[in-house]
Amino acid sequence: MSDSLDAYLVLAGLLFAIGTFGFLARRNAISMLMSIELMLNAVNLAIIGFGSFIPSLSADGSVIAIMVMAVAAAEATVGLAIVIAIYRNRKTPLVDEYDAMRR
Amino acid sequence: MPRSLLTIGATLALIGLAVGLPIGLVVLGVLRWGDDVLFFLFAEVMIGAGLLVVTMRDIIRCGLAMIVCFGALAGIYVIAGAPLVAAAQVLIYIGAISVLILFAIMLTQTKDAPTSLVFQTQSLGAGIAAIVLAVIIGLTVGSTDWPDVGARIHTATDHLAEVLFNEYVLPFEIVSVLLLAAVIGGVFLAKREEGGPP
Amino acid sequence: MNETLAAALPVLAAAAEGGAEAGTGGLIGLLTALVLVLPLIGFVVTAAVGRRLDREAHLIPVGVVVLSWALAMVVSYAALSGGLGADGHRVELYEWIPAGDFTVTAGLFVDQLTAVLLIVVTTVGMLVHVYSIGYMAHDPGYWRFFAYLNLFMFSMLLLVLADNWLVVFVAWELVGLSSYLLIGFWYRRSSAALASKKAFIVNRVGDVGFALGIIAIWVNTGTLDVRASMASLIGEGGAPVIPVAVVALLLFAGAVGKSAQFPLHVWLPDAMEGPTPVSALIHAATMVNAGVYLVARANPIFAAAPGVLVFVAATGIFTAILAASIAMTQTDIKRVLAYSTLSQLGYMFAALGVGAFTAAIFHLLAQGFTKGLLFLASGSVIHAVHDEQDMRRMGGLRKKIPHTYWTMLIGALAITGIPPLAAFFSKDEILAESFKFGFGWVWAIGVLVAVLTAFYMFRLIGLTFWGESRVDSHVEPRIHESPPVMVGPLWLLAIPTIVLGAALALPFGDGPIIHWLEPIFAGAAEALHLAHAEFALFGIDGVLILVSVAAAAIGIAVGWWLFGVELLALRRRPRPETVRSLSARLPFLYRASLNKWWFDELYDLLFIRIGGRVADAIWWFDREVVDGTVNAVGTLTRGSGSRLARVQTGRVQNYALGIALGLIVMAASYLILAGRPA
Repeated sequence: MSDSLDAYLVLAGLLFAIGTFGFLARRNAISMLMSIELMLNAVNLAIIGFGSFIPSLSADGSVIAIMVMAVAAAEATVGLAIVIAIYRNRKTPLVDEYDAMRR
Repeated sequence: MPRSLLTIGATLALIGLAVGLPIGLVVLGVLRWGDDVLFFLFAEVMIGAGLLVVTMRDIIRCGLAMIVCFGALAGIYVIAGAPLVAAAQVLIYIGAISVLILFAIMLTQTKDAPTSLVFQTQSLGAGIAAIVLAVIIGLTVGSTDWPDVGARIHTATDHLAEVLFNEYVLPFEIVSVLLLAAVIGGVFLAKREEGGPP
Repeated sequence: MNETLAAALPVLAAAAEGGAEAGTGGLIGLLTALVLVLPLIGFVVTAAVGRRLDREAHLIPVGVVVLSWALAMVVSYAALSGGLGADGHRVELYEWIPAGDFTVTAGLFVDQLTAVLLIVVTTVGMLVHVYSIGYMAHDPGYWRFFAYLNLFMFSMLLLVLADNWLVVFVAWELVGLSSYLLIGFWYRRSSAALASKKAFIVNRVGDVGFALGIIAIWVNTGTLDVRASMASLIGEGGAPVIPVAVVALLLFAGAVGKSAQFPLHVWLPDAMEGPTPVSALIHAATMVNAGVYLVARANPIFAAAPGVLVFVAATGIFTAILAASIAMTQTDIKRVLAYSTLSQLGYMFAALGVGAFTAAIFHLLAQGFTKGLLFLASGSVIHAVHDEQDMRRMGGLRKKIPHTYWTMLIGALAITGIPPLAAFFSKDEILAESFKFGFGWVWAIGVLVAVLTAFYMFRLIGLTFWGESRVDSHVEPRIHESPPVMVGPLWLLAIPTIVLGAALALPFGDGPIIHWLEPIFAGAAEALHLAHAEFALFGIDGVLILVSVAAAAIGIAVGWWLFGVELLALRRRPRPETVRSLSARLPFLYRASLNKWWFDELYDLLFIRIGGRVADAIWWFDREVVDGTVNAVGTLTRGSGSRLARVQTGRVQNYALGIALGLIVMAASYLILAGRPA
């Protein structure tokens, strides 16, 4: 199984689906951010998978994965800062109470 | 009392399944002893931890489950032949991002956190969407004939360094600037106002 | 005078001939146009400055009308003496509506028929104007009255002189308008205002028919010129788009409205709310004759539809007897005369219906003067007893207002058909022709109506002038004869009442009136196959004359028996107790007559109540269904808008779910479509 590209890709897809569910269903803002991290990791896995099975892409795969990780870190930083700022304003971390843009 | 028994019983059953399944598959001949079993184990842990991340009630436990997930993922990276990435995964994700998230959780905790609803009202739709998405990806992947696919390659670190600092030096530098900007932005956004409440 | 006329005649004839050839201009054309325009000028000037002139306001209107009368006499003389040629004289004024296919030229047309009408309208009009100087002397709206009278004169003259159906219709409406203004002259009285509205609305019903008739004429012939359209309508062999009978019926509908025939007769008695000169001019001598004129003018159309003519005769004679039956019990002196007018109009339509067109116009002429005289005399009576119109409070006025008495007596005798007064000749001719042309039922009913007419007229005379005075004691000492400006017209009208009949009808069967009007109706007579037998004084005609005179005599005798007489040497006192016992023995008939056969109540029920319900139902439909639909569209839009807006929850996760679903749908559809064999 570890020799087939499909296994890695299916795994990545599963993890992505789990991340999507968490993003759409959880109430806490930080849970949403954690789900985002899961989705990013799934993407990373897919890239590494491609990199390890296609000879011309072996180094490129790793490089891209590292870049993705760096960007994910930056995004997590800013996202959490925003969540903290909102929390300070609304006194709640629950996203379904951030409905000031209602009609 | 019976509830905790149930929980213990469920956990034991789950662990048993998690361990027994790969062994059974090895015996059946689907998995080869060595790489395949390890891959399967890591995959199990990763998916299990991921599910725990999105379904557990206590958010700190969710964060811890996420750490476990990242760890398993690093293991899979090693099996895939990208050891540097695995190391970076451990360092960055587990070492930095997860800690950051745990700090944020602690800063935004409310008193009624354990008792409020975990899931949104649209969680059913979300679940269906997620399942459909997984099926679509699975079908797509399964029905595609990937060209140029050979055996698994192990990426040597010095080859990686060569590529990284020769062809990809510009993105590398830009990413560092990006990180700087993100850090400054984050600090500014989360800063407490002058004279405001703590 | 005669030499002047004799000298003038060739000049006029030459001018007329020259004018007839040229089509416009010519002396006669100019005079005709002046006859029409002078009253219009009078109206405009009086309306503009009348209020300031106040008591002098009658100078211009009366002067204008006298001038118009003089010119009309000249024109009529020219027409009746044959000076205008066989086809009459046409004056083109201007092209009114130049719209390609639909071109209407306004113009005037004079022939013998027009001339007869001109004589009646201008003479009675002039005398009524002079009379009004005295009658309306104390009225604050003095100037307004003369302005309206002039407007009416203009409208009526336009109606008679017009040579285009559309102009006739305009004049028709203008006459109706003047009638409305004059009936409601004392507009502060609610009864007057209601009566004027009733007159206008009932007239309108007839006018709808008239308008449809004009449209039908245009559809059939493509022209609205009176003579051209009639020639075209009758001439062609091919079937017209709309049958001639329908056209005739529609035109008759207009006549029914304007001339107050059954069933549109209800407005005329109420129109007595207007001042008496108005009743005399409009509702006795001129406007109500417009319907008769219309049918006479359109006689080729009617002659081509004999069935409609029978209908006309039936309507006319039925109205005659209906009105006569009501007149027998009315107590208001003007109402009796109003119903008498209705009755005589019925005679005229009956005559038109049986084909005796000349007799109808002759009766129109005689009636114009006679009825005008009667109404003006009744106005004098009312003036004498200080605005009392109820005959039960009159009586014994013979010695006190002699001029009024004698002129009114002359009028009453004339109308009952006593020879040799005017109406005898015309009425007798109507009855004789109906008998000879085979309409025996018309003749029989006509004789009955003659009996009733004589009866109620002498009832009126008896109650008003003979017997003991029942006048109110305050008023009695102040009874006085009317001023000369009112009495003069009475005598001036009495003269033609006496002599006109004999002058025009003798010798029997060959009189001037027949020579005047025969050419006009020759075509119709031929179409209806009416043989004009020689007059046989000692044959059938003599018998018929005897019968009609006898009928009148019976009516008079019964009237004298019940209501007394103080004529010459005859003396008999009235017997009110006999009257009461007689009416007690026929209670239903008496009450029906007194209540005008409940027609007003019937129309109120049908149109006001039931029509009101129907209108309410339609209003409900408009409110609920039509408006409801429009409102529903608005409500629907608003409601759906507000319901759709609920998608905007303001929550990021809801929007994210939308994005995820969209993505899934796109990916799935791509997968399916790409998986299909190309």
